[in-house]
Amino acid sequence: MADFSTSIRESGEVSIIDLKGFLDAHTAPTLENNFAQLIKDSKFKIVVNFEDLAYISSAGLGVFMAFIENIRDNKGDIKLTNMSDKVFNIFDLLGFPLLYEIYKNEQEAINKFSGS
Amino acid sequence: MNYKIFTHAALKLNFIKQNIVSTQAQFFFIASALMFVFKIFFGTPDTFILILLLDVIIAASIFFLLLALIKFENSRTAAPLSLVLNVGILLAIMFFILVFSDYLLPGIFDNINLKLNNPGLVYNIVSFIYVMLMIGFISFFLITLRHFFFLNQRKNVKVYFNTMLVFFILASLSINFFSDEELSFLSTTFFAVSVLLMIFNSIRISWIAFLSKKEKTYLLLLSFVITILFIVNILNSAEGNIYSQILTAFSPSLRQFNQMIMIYGSIYFVFLFFTTLFHLPTAEAYDRKAQEVTSLQYFSKLITEVLDFNDLAETVTDITQKLSGSKASWIIWKNGVKPSTLAAKNIGFIESDKLTAQILERISFENLTSTKTFSLKERVVNNTSENLFSVVSVSPIKTRGETQGILVAAKGQDQIFTQDDLSAIETFSDYASVAIENSRLLEESIEKERLEKELDVAREIQRKILPSDVPKYPALDIASVFIPAFEVGGDYYDFFKISETKLGFVIADVSGKGISAAFIMAEVKGIFESLSKTMERPKEILIKANDILKETLDSKSFVSAAYGYFDFKENKLIFARAGHCPLFLLRGADSKQIRPSGLGLGLSSKEYFEQTLEEYSIDLMKDDTIVLYTDGVTEAKNERLEDFGDKHFLNVLQANVLLNAEELSNKIIKEITVFSSSHDQYDDITLVIFKWQQ
Repeated sequence: MADFSTSIRESGEVSIIDLKGFLDAHTAPTLENNFAQLIKDSKFKIVVNFEDLAYISSAGLGVFMAFIENIRDNKGDIKLTNMSDKVFNIFDLLGFPLLYEIYKNEQEAINKFSGS
Repeated sequence: MNYKIFTHAALKLNFIKQNIVSTQAQFFFIASALMFVFKIFFGTPDTFILILLLDVIIAASIFFLLLALIKFENSRTAAPLSLVLNVGILLAIMFFILVFSDYLLPGIFDNINLKLNNPGLVYNIVSFIYVMLMIGFISFFLITLRHFFFLNQRKNVKVYFNTMLVFFILASLSINFFSDEELSFLSTTFFAVSVLLMIFNSIRISWIAFLSKKEKTYLLLLSFVITILFIVNILNSAEGNIYSQILTAFSPSLRQFNQMIMIYGSIYFVFLFFTTLFHLPTAEAYDRKAQEVTSLQYFSKLITEVLDFNDLAETVTDITQKLSGSKASWIIWKNGVKPSTLAAKNIGFIESDKLTAQILERISFENLTSTKTFSLKERVVNNTSENLFSVVSVSPIKTRGETQGILVAAKGQDQIFTQDDLSAIETFSDYASVAIENSRLLEESIEKERLEKELDVAREIQRKILPSDVPKYPALDIASVFIPAFEVGGDYYDFFKISETKLGFVIADVSGKGISAAFIMAEVKGIFESLSKTMERPKEILIKANDILKETLDSKSFVSAAYGYFDFKENKLIFARAGHCPLFLLRGADSKQIRPSGLGLGLSSKEYFEQTLEEYSIDLMKDDTIVLYTDGVTEAKNERLEDFGDKHFLNVLQANVLLNAEELSNKIIKEITVFSSSHDQYDDITLVIFKWQQ
């Protein structure tokens, strides 16, 4: 199956996860581990950059749902940025824009964190 | 109850069997009793007939005792060594009897010589017991010697042995009858021939070859002691002492027979002693050969144990330890980053881990290509484990050409690894590698099969959940297509006959795949089936469904769904969408994607879900085409991993809008199939088409 990888960057208080490749049921555990690690390190301000993500399946969407409650309870948030139209469409169909803040670019999302 | 009856019957059977066995013993007792009666009546007989009669009775009693003993011996399988030990013990007892009879018996009978000539009842009883004891001893010796003789498994064994016995008897009997000067040469000849036969029957003792070195040493010692005892006992029973006198007075033939058996015994054990002595130097080599033979059996054992990886590892260490004569053996397995002990024989895991650390300082998995040995570091004080082991051999266990494990054998301070040991370990580690690789492959294929079985179950659930055909209405032409993906995708659709004028429908897609998706699908079906009976409004139904699923699903899972109903009376379609793909409405050349707002089921709380969910109503016109689908349709991929896409889908729909529902769905599936012919279908494809006819 197609590859998927993630990397984590820091920008001030905000942690940025870059996604690359195909996020589906088989690759989702990688991202789950990233979220779990950030929560363990008490880093609740998270931006996920979708720039290089080619595809996301329903199981991939599930990963965001799994952690959001915990993160918001700790006054943090997951903000999503740089989605391609195709990926945005998948999020949009399920109504994710109603649940998550989705931004055109990364800086906008980071600014939102520092602003609040 | 039945069991009890059965055991009872078995006991009974056994009892009868024992009775049969003791038939010979009964004859023996009868013969002995006759012997006793004879003695009481005739004392020491002097006529030819009486002497012969007595000897026949004695011979008969010995004969039946021998038969009884043979029966008894056949019923149990005694090891030669324990028989040898028994002979030794009996000889020792006999020795004491012989020695003490010289001191005790004259005390009991003030004049033994007088008694011998004029025996009373007491004397007769004592001498009878004495004789019976001796008959018992020599019978046992004879049986044991016979047993050893038969162990050789030469040709005509019976003939040789029986010939010898015949000469024993001839030599014994002739003592009585040919005591005259002229004829005494006959008994001497019989005696000489007997001795020759004894010697002949005592050479070629082959059974000791199968003993281990330790057992041979033991046998050497034992046979030496026994030989001495035989000779001492022969000397002790020489003419003149009490034993000899009593026996001779009873029957000269018996005494002679007794002596012959004793001589046979001493000759046999002398030969046994020397044969063992000569076998001793080669015993170790023989042991090794025997070990090699057993190790071949071990290899075949490896093949049968590939079914369980851990069992296999245990067996490998077990065999390695035996094969190389090491104190301990274990397998270091490259387990991710940190190597660990997979299985260990004769060493604890803590100790083996310590030694593993030492080994890995010296050698890495990559560098180890053949068997090597090295000595362990100087011992640390108070570290018992390293006192035990001073040298180790390490062999690679390779799977797929890569060293995955190290087979370690460890020896103590006083031991070294010989070239033989190392080549045995080297050969064995190759076998072990193959066996371990096979075991891994087997495990993988079992896992794969298990997954496939699981998917079969998931497919079966899905097949049963989905409707087998579409409902028929004059006002509504309905067609549905479902194409399952290899990994069940979690698509679900259904129709509900709400009333005479209303037809409900649902289409849903469960997140995730496989068996878990199939189970959620079954739950979703249950929810919609029951809700459609109690509620009418699509919005209400979806809100309730969200409530239930939010409770039951884990936080990662959700369901996209669209629920609606056709109202034949009002010519309306009312529906709501919970995160599902939009609905297509084709009306002549006009077409639109209808996408009311709504979150997926199980994603958010009731309030938020309710707030965001819209219900949509369409006033239907004749020939309106409504298309429902799951993302398997629009996300079908071609060889360049491009999606089939909304646009392409809509184009196909528009171009074929005049076809009926069935034809239209066939057309779409055909287009998708052509588009994604070079790419595996990754997700379930579901398509439901309605055409309004009124």
